[in-house]
Amino acid sequence: MWNFLRNRQSSREVAKGRLHLVLAHDRAGIEGGKLQEMRREIAAVISKYVPIDIEAVEVQIESKSRATELRVSSPLPARNG
Amino acid sequence: MGRAIVITSGKGGVGKTTTTCNLGAAIAQLGASVVLIDADIGLRNLDVVMGLENRIVYHLVDAIAGRCTIQKALIKDRRLDNLWLLPASQTDDKDAVSPEDMVGLINELKATHDFVLIDCPAGIEQGFRNAIAGADEAIVVATPEVSSIRDADRVVGLLAQRDIPTRLIVNRISPHLVKKGDMLSQADVIEILALELLGGVPLDEHVVASTNKGMPAVLEGKSLAAREFTRIAKRLLGLEVEPEREVGFFGRIGRALGFSSANPA
Repeated sequence: MWNFLRNRQSSREVAKGRLHLVLAHDRAGIEGGKLQEMRREIAAVISKYVPIDIEAVEVQIESKSRATELRVSSPLPARNG
Repeated sequence: MGRAIVITSGKGGVGKTTTTCNLGAAIAQLGASVVLIDADIGLRNLDVVMGLENRIVYHLVDAIAGRCTIQKALIKDRRLDNLWLLPASQTDDKDAVSPEDMVGLINELKATHDFVLIDCPAGIEQGFRNAIAGADEAIVVATPEVSSIRDADRVVGLLAQRDIPTRLIVNRISPHLVKKGDMLSQADVIEILALELLGGVPLDEHVVASTNKGMPAVLEGKSLAAREFTRIAKRLLGLEVEPEREVGFFGRIGRALGFSSANPA
């Protein structure tokens, strides 16, 4: 399904999407390995306070108009009772 | 006091030298005096693109080493009244010149000319640092391709660190491919790089022929690329620029059939 949608995207749109991603990382000056290391450390810190699935923690770098943003997201478990 | 503008891109082969050559000729046509500096030491090319390769006696490194005066190293372009070239050395190394040398050289040229255009080598190493050292402004040239835009972005970051005001030229745009969805548009490139646009130069086979002959395209008539280079030169001079009529693909084809075979589909 995803591949089907992707194939319908023009190469221009694909290029734009890839560039946004690559430039966000270039501008932040963080390589892939460093980012993963940071992700694991952040996940470990969160898990000290909340029981979370460490593998589900995501770290993303986004860039718009030369301002770069680091976004960390993690699903939190529902509190039962 | 003149303005020193560096033309840079990060990536090679995107049209820095052609842009330098044509902007220089267009500015000179408009009446301002211009010196073009080939800052690509060891890989000089602006001389052949300008068609001045047979007239080189001294070069940039000679001038900096004091083997001749700066004025003596300038080659006058005989096709225009106020256009000069300071060629690079073909035998020296990039580190034959320091950023301080370049600042001194450019300041001296700014005292005698309205514009000093510096053709920057590809890359972001010593040659780049030399080329931007004496620049008051920068023009980043990018083609609508991922590799070119990525490298341009690196260069934009480095120029921003030095507080050099930077504007963008998008080069070799094929309206046909943009329309088909197979090329980033000028607007896409502006959005991604977040830079002020100075101009968008269409892909134009006249430029290939001009370069073969060593003749700036702007001196050869009104091809699409030549017209845009002239508009960019006017913007640099702060002159009124007639708005380009927004012509669609078919309009362009019609115009191409009319008096130019530009933009091969």
